[in-house]
Amino acid sequence: MKFLVSRYNPDRDAKPHMQAFEVEVWRGMMLRDALLEIKRQDESFAFRHSCGEGVCGSDGVNVNGSNRLACITPVADLKAPVEIRPFPGRPIIRDLVVDMSQFYAQYKAVEPWLVREDPMPEQEILQSPAERDRLDGLYECILCGCCSTACPSFWWNPDKFHGPQALLTAWRFLADSRDQATEHRLDALEGPYRLFRCHTIMSCVEACPKGLNPTRAIGHIKQLMLEKAI
Amino acid sequence: MSRKASGLKAWVLQRATALYIGLFTLALLGVLLFDPPHGYAQWRDGFADPLIGIATLVYIVSILLHAWVGVRDVLIDYVRPLGLRVTLLALVVLGLVACGLWASQSLILVRLV
Amino acid sequence: MALPRRRFDALIIGAGGAGLNAAIQLADTEARVAVVSKVFPTRSHTVAAQGGVNAALANVLPDNWHWHMYDTVKGSDWLGDQDAIEYMCREAIPTVYELEHNGVPFSRLDNGKIYQRPFGGMTQNFGGEQAARTCAAADRTGHAILHTLYQQNLRARTHFFDEYFAIDLIRDQEGAVLGALVLEIETGEPLLIEAKATVLATGGCGQVFRTTSNAHINTGDGMAMALRAGIPLMDMEFFQFHPTGLAGRGMLITEGVRGEGGYLINKDGERFMERSAPHAKDLASRDVVSRAIVTEVKEGRGCGPRGDHVLLKLDHLGEEVIAKRLPGIRETGRIFSGVDAAREPLPVFPTAHYAMGGIPTDRHGRVLAPVGTGEEVVPGLYAAGECACVSVHGGNRLGGNSLLDILVFGRAAGLDLLEHMEAHHRPMDEASVDRAMARLERWDRKGEGLSVRELRDAFRATMEEHAGVFRTEAVMREGLDKLRALRAQLDEVRLQDHSRVFNTARIEALELENLIACGMAIAVSALNRKESRGAHSRPDYPKRDDVNWMKHSLYLMEDDHLDYKPVQTKPLTVETFPPKERVY
Repeated sequence: MKFLVSRYNPDRDAKPHMQAFEVEVWRGMMLRDALLEIKRQDESFAFRHSCGEGVCGSDGVNVNGSNRLACITPVADLKAPVEIRPFPGRPIIRDLVVDMSQFYAQYKAVEPWLVREDPMPEQEILQSPAERDRLDGLYECILCGCCSTACPSFWWNPDKFHGPQALLTAWRFLADSRDQATEHRLDALEGPYRLFRCHTIMSCVEACPKGLNPTRAIGHIKQLMLEKAI
Repeated sequence: MSRKASGLKAWVLQRATALYIGLFTLALLGVLLFDPPHGYAQWRDGFADPLIGIATLVYIVSILLHAWVGVRDVLIDYVRPLGLRVTLLALVVLGLVACGLWASQSLILVRLV
Repeated sequence: MALPRRRFDALIIGAGGAGLNAAIQLADTEARVAVVSKVFPTRSHTVAAQGGVNAALANVLPDNWHWHMYDTVKGSDWLGDQDAIEYMCREAIPTVYELEHNGVPFSRLDNGKIYQRPFGGMTQNFGGEQAARTCAAADRTGHAILHTLYQQNLRARTHFFDEYFAIDLIRDQEGAVLGALVLEIETGEPLLIEAKATVLATGGCGQVFRTTSNAHINTGDGMAMALRAGIPLMDMEFFQFHPTGLAGRGMLITEGVRGEGGYLINKDGERFMERSAPHAKDLASRDVVSRAIVTEVKEGRGCGPRGDHVLLKLDHLGEEVIAKRLPGIRETGRIFSGVDAAREPLPVFPTAHYAMGGIPTDRHGRVLAPVGTGEEVVPGLYAAGECACVSVHGGNRLGGNSLLDILVFGRAAGLDLLEHMEAHHRPMDEASVDRAMARLERWDRKGEGLSVRELRDAFRATMEEHAGVFRTEAVMREGLDKLRALRAQLDEVRLQDHSRVFNTARIEALELENLIACGMAIAVSALNRKESRGAHSRPDYPKRDDVNWMKHSLYLMEDDHLDYKPVQTKPLTVETFPPKERVY
């Protein structure tokens, strides 16, 4: 099967170019296996990867135009020739490796940690199963970046718009019955940029390899803001 | 623009005005379809009615606000150089205010004549 | 160009659960702490832990830490140090509460308390009925914990060096550790980080085996750094093969599946664990279940066209339990085996999973090295997590004790470090820096030679064949000869890619050196231990031998030297659990 892979080595290349590789496909082969096979043919090929089972979030790439996690993308599902590029909109460091620092900065900007004002109990803070259920579909995010780098609003304003990943995380804490910083979190999301650049294009939902829905989370935040404002 | 400018207000405004614009347009279409006015005099009398006049004024303001939020969004997304963005935003404001004044003036004239 | 240098109070190498929990103790104080990680912190392999973390909270069934301690001692096949085990089981309870307070989204019981599930080897009342001790966030507990710890470190403004690869420890003439030489992967430039104390928290070395549940990054970097610094590795022959890896792929299927009521069957549909462990059945200790599966397959009762695996049945649990408690497993089965676990059983076979052995430490995380006939603390060096060996797991680790180990001893190391922090940095030892630089520069050698990939593949296949679940003298001796020959070939390996920016080929070469160092420690230690204990199973010495072998192996890199030290059988406050036969 033919794979076209984006190559860029800053020591040598002025800009990225596509290089063709022929890879023998086996039953059950994932895209990461194909990338490893390409690296076997050419050790200078660089991409990030680690767990191989879709939990560490290292190997997000753009395949035939969509952002996917390579290790859980079956090669059999892809149309040949398979075109593999780095995430769109991020500065390329080398080959498929991009600089994700802006993405991490946005994550950090939503203060992604539980805030508790009350004294801590000696045991656990109680939480009913129903309250805990509200975190499902939120806490599972693996920070792979497939969503935010597929979001046009994030492409235009990566420095000011938090992007779908960070906003999903913001809602993860707003939705947690144990968190006591609701007002502060909502105030921090005010303004035309941080939250409200989302135009419900929903590319993030399509891109998320874990089946999460950042657009819905953003909707919940807006609704909560409205409730608290009126 | 992100320090003090509103996000939530603009967002709510956009949705509220959209709702009103939709309803008003439907009502207008209904009138035009089932009970269309015959001739200018009937048109003028219709708009001279205080209720219809006020509803129309609100409609005009809604369109202007809705357009403002929408155009502002587009400019924020696509126009990065600050000078250009400010100029364009100012032009849009001027244009919208001009349209609004002209439309209001027509409504006032309707009552004066 | 002069080597750039940075100075911190503490340097933590590795950003998994152990490293981050050590860092958080320091970050909330005045201490300046640097965390170096070769991947972005939430990519660390703690993220893949599924089942949960053990603590005797007694939320579901009666429980106390002393029962937990008994189970851990028994699970270790009496090779664990009972003082460290007592400390861990006592600390488990506040540790889990602290995690919860920090935001971990644990699953909940109807009364609002943390959900706890049954796990293998966990009993009430010193070997009685099954206990429910494993605190879980669905089947993504490691993910939930790692992300929470990272978040808390962001709050505390820990200084992270993301995507920096640690080359070697810097150690002076007196044996004190002064920091480490690291490599910024993005630029390919070395950096010297000086620290009053260094914590190794680099995780395991599961990549030494071809089929493993471990990530690509688990290459035993910290263990090998310790070896090169003249520090031994302890009990490396004890390597856990998790009974239920996805057959042919190695991905982990959590023990939680069996905890929730799943069970194993052979090709005749027989629940063979009823035969192999009549009392605990499918929830016997991991070494026991792994051996039972391998035996089924060897004796021709395996499933599939090649009869090379068994089946894990969980479809009888029902959609709802699977959706609520095991959603990740269903996803994994669907993606990698094309099997919907809610309808069909999953094909499973043991997979290399966890190193019980590692860098010897005391229960404060301080690294110990032999001096004369005794041992002494290595000044300025700590180790915690899978790369360390306290030892709480002894011959075999119980499920749910690994997350516990990294959290408890990561924290202990952080606290001890803070308490004993020296006032000043020691003078730098330039000779040691030069040695570390030489290791890096070795890979600048050009020319034709063996590729990293070839040697790596050969080494991992040999390890799998000769140091697997069942080990006999002949197989291991042959294996050791092969491994030594492969190690000798390391010198002939050449890189073709000598570029600087994000050169992953160079990183993999450095990792290969680490893998080979760890693999040799496993093979040498295994060949010499002439008994069966825990995960170390020798058909030629089928019995445990407490008279001659109730002792820890210490492997030193120089001349593949082996030493031994006694097991600490005296707990801190309670009575010793004396060795007895280990049946489940």
